[in-house]
Amino acid sequence: MTADVAPDPDEAQRAIEYCYDQGWSDGLPLVPASKPLVDQFLATTAKDPDEIIGSLEQVGRDCTVYLAAVNAAMAGCKPEYFPVVLAAFEALMRERAARGGGFQSTSGPAPLIVVNGPIRQELGFNTAGGAFGPGFRPNMTIPRAIGLMVRNAFGIVPHVFEQATQGVPGRWSICLAENEEESPWEPLAENGGVSGGASAVSVTLTRTMEFVDNRHAPNAEDVLRDFQDTISRIGSQIFPKSAVALVLCPEHAQMFASAGLSKADVQNWLLERSGRTVGEFRRAGKAEVTSRRFGPPGAGGHDDGPPRADDEFHPILTGPQSIPIIVAGAKNAAISMVVRIFGEWSGTAVPVGEKK
Amino acid sequence: MPNVILDPTGTVKTSAAKQAAPRAPRRASLNGARVGLLINTKTNARPFLEEVGRLLTEQYGVTVTKRTKTNFAVPEPESVIKEMAAESDVVVTGVGDCGSCSAAAAADGVVFEAAGVPVAVIVTDSFRATADAMAALRGAPGYQYATTAHPVAVLEEDQVKQRAAQVLDDVVALLTNPQADA
Repeated sequence: MTADVAPDPDEAQRAIEYCYDQGWSDGLPLVPASKPLVDQFLATTAKDPDEIIGSLEQVGRDCTVYLAAVNAAMAGCKPEYFPVVLAAFEALMRERAARGGGFQSTSGPAPLIVVNGPIRQELGFNTAGGAFGPGFRPNMTIPRAIGLMVRNAFGIVPHVFEQATQGVPGRWSICLAENEEESPWEPLAENGGVSGGASAVSVTLTRTMEFVDNRHAPNAEDVLRDFQDTISRIGSQIFPKSAVALVLCPEHAQMFASAGLSKADVQNWLLERSGRTVGEFRRAGKAEVTSRRFGPPGAGGHDDGPPRADDEFHPILTGPQSIPIIVAGAKNAAISMVVRIFGEWSGTAVPVGEKK
Repeated sequence: MPNVILDPTGTVKTSAAKQAAPRAPRRASLNGARVGLLINTKTNARPFLEEVGRLLTEQYGVTVTKRTKTNFAVPEPESVIKEMAAESDVVVTGVGDCGSCSAAAAADGVVFEAAGVPVAVIVTDSFRATADAMAALRGAPGYQYATTAHPVAVLEEDQVKQRAAQVLDDVVALLTNPQADA
């Protein structure tokens, strides 16, 4: 058979159906992984195939470099994406919620993967319009690979150990390549401790998102107030404190920068003001969120102080780490996204490993 | 020879998967037993288990000790289980009413049993699948536990007590009935 003869589609179909029959698929067709293909993935990393890169103690499972490679191949990744898959998985497993019960949770959280550095161009990530996808192979297949690793390597399968009530749209399909070229600020990786513009991946678990469309206000403070309003919604609050990732479009980011605001300034402005009064929480049936007695003893709960007044403001964010800012998308409209973080971001980025 | 399609699934570590986790021998009765309550900190778990403890004290003269789980989402550390096993004749734990905590409750139950302490695990009926899967993974397929209707978190105080009373017979049966050993 010569290279320009198309492969046998019937054979390909049988291989795809075989993968479905084994229960390996997330619902979409898998690329059947062969040893020669997986060897190409393994060749991109200095790590030993048997090295354990993540464990879920509660289900007694480890994920090895080898299993990561098989799942990444099946997800449709190219071999050269594999170092990014490994960095993303390492970053994900730094999240306390991921190591705890996050993948089993009724919340059904979705990893938000953010890629920085020259690897974005080298691998052909989409760094511009349509940041949340679809349409671009690395952006779509890398998060899918992470999802397949959780499913197959950790054995977290829907309706069994995976107990999402509704889940989150975009679960296992969100991978942003930050639009560093049009961002006025330092890349997210630098906030996560990887400086010098090196290629790195940051990941946190999220629970859905809401857009802020504000393309007519000429005043940066008005736009900040619009973000404040969306961040402060009560519906997603279940703990006294929460966290959001702000995915700003270049237009909003540049507007803030032009007003003289650094990333930290934007964070601090919103930190001070995001939240609601105790009374507003109470009237929405969320009095517990503002209660001094929230949570078990030893975890900040059971403080018997006086009841808080209805008009007392209850801020929901805690510090810059509770509001990471990413710049993504096209510079064609002032539309940004407030993404709810599940738990808290580790605040660290993982450099993309190079084969030594 | 054609290539085989590689298997992307992992296997459960032998340290977690006991081939056949032993069950604790059942007590003939709960009279005078030391009951340990392992409260998983989910909303209403404390009043629920405390009411179970109160009813057992009233009906069987048991003594009750209480502990709260370190982290409801994952199995309790072995050291805590050992301490509790040493101070309790039987244990009641729950309420598993979420994806992670129902699995963790079942896992705790299996570990207590292996330490020789009969356990009544309580989960809400929405989470049978995950409790069953965790018990099977830990070498106790078919492990029996008590269920109460989902949800529990929204119940008022008197409703919680009612639920505790309703599940009491199942709890007693799990702790005393040799059939539950099967």
